[in-house]
Amino acid sequence: MAQPDHSTTEIESPDKWEAQMRKGCLEMAVLASLWHGRLYGLEILRVLERDSSLVLAEGTIYPILNRLRAEGLVESQWVEAEAGHPRKYYELTQSGRDRATRMAETWTRFSAGLGYLIEPVLKDRRVEQPL
Amino acid sequence: MTTEIQVNGYLARLRASLTGMTVAEREDIVEEIRMHIRERSGDPGTNVEAALAGLGPADELAQQYRTGLLVQRARTSISPVVILRAALRWATTGVEGFIVFMIAIIGYAMGGGFILLAMVKPFFPANTGFWVGPDQFSFSFRLGATMTNPASPVHEVLGWWLIPVCLVIGSLSLVATTKLLQFLMGRFHWKVPFTANAHVRTAMMAL
Repeated sequence: MAQPDHSTTEIESPDKWEAQMRKGCLEMAVLASLWHGRLYGLEILRVLERDSSLVLAEGTIYPILNRLRAEGLVESQWVEAEAGHPRKYYELTQSGRDRATRMAETWTRFSAGLGYLIEPVLKDRRVEQPL
Repeated sequence: MTTEIQVNGYLARLRASLTGMTVAEREDIVEEIRMHIRERSGDPGTNVEAALAGLGPADELAQQYRTGLLVQRARTSISPVVILRAALRWATTGVEGFIVFMIAIIGYAMGGGFILLAMVKPFFPANTGFWVGPDQFSFSFRLGATMTNPASPVHEVLGWWLIPVCLVIGSLSLVATTKLLQFLMGRFHWKVPFTANAHVRTAMMAL
């Protein structure tokens, strides 16, 4: 009998809202990663992994960047790199900076409000399941 | 199989699946993915196989590109064809997409039906109309019905006014459906570019 694929089970768990929430965060996270300056695709992946624990499959980032470029939120440019091959760098446009700012403000309000609401839930769980 | 053949095979499948865009757009994407594979496979503990596995199957990667661009175009286009294609793609991703697709089908079918009725009226004036009868009324094309006899159980009441009335209702239906779908795509666009089996294995962001 085949063993269940736990990685797949984890992704397609009944808690789909969690996966949807992560997807909803991706656009904000990508825009935020570009806040301090231009980055190329693999660098964005590494920044997201390092700074936000948001680890996503490598193939996911490029279609997102392509769509953000089509929406005028980022612009791209091929640059000859020291690595010996060109890299496609992405940079926020003014519209992208505005969008990132609005999303960050909304996220902060939302998470602060929700954090207050769920505090008792986490507190009771800590009491019931002492570490 | 050498790594170069593997990479070229992957990029060829990606290129073949990237339909609905210009050659320049397609080659730009292929080149970016080629550079990603080259750089990623050079990382310590990684090789070309791992880099390709990280990207996922070429056709799924291409589908994410296509869907993202299609939805982006649909949000700004007024073409029912473009919007319907985006809705159809969305319909493959889950229940919400299917509901949106049904809204699109019903809305456009209704709008198109009213306009068609207005166009048919001059050719079949006696059979086309707004029919009223005992416990019923409908806009439709009816064979064998009469518009001249008000005493008939089912009779037509609008006459030639049917044409402007149907044109207005039909146009409003098309515009309202388009606007509603664009609103829904804008509201939920972050859900659309992902297929149900998208390779997302994210860790939860702290709230």
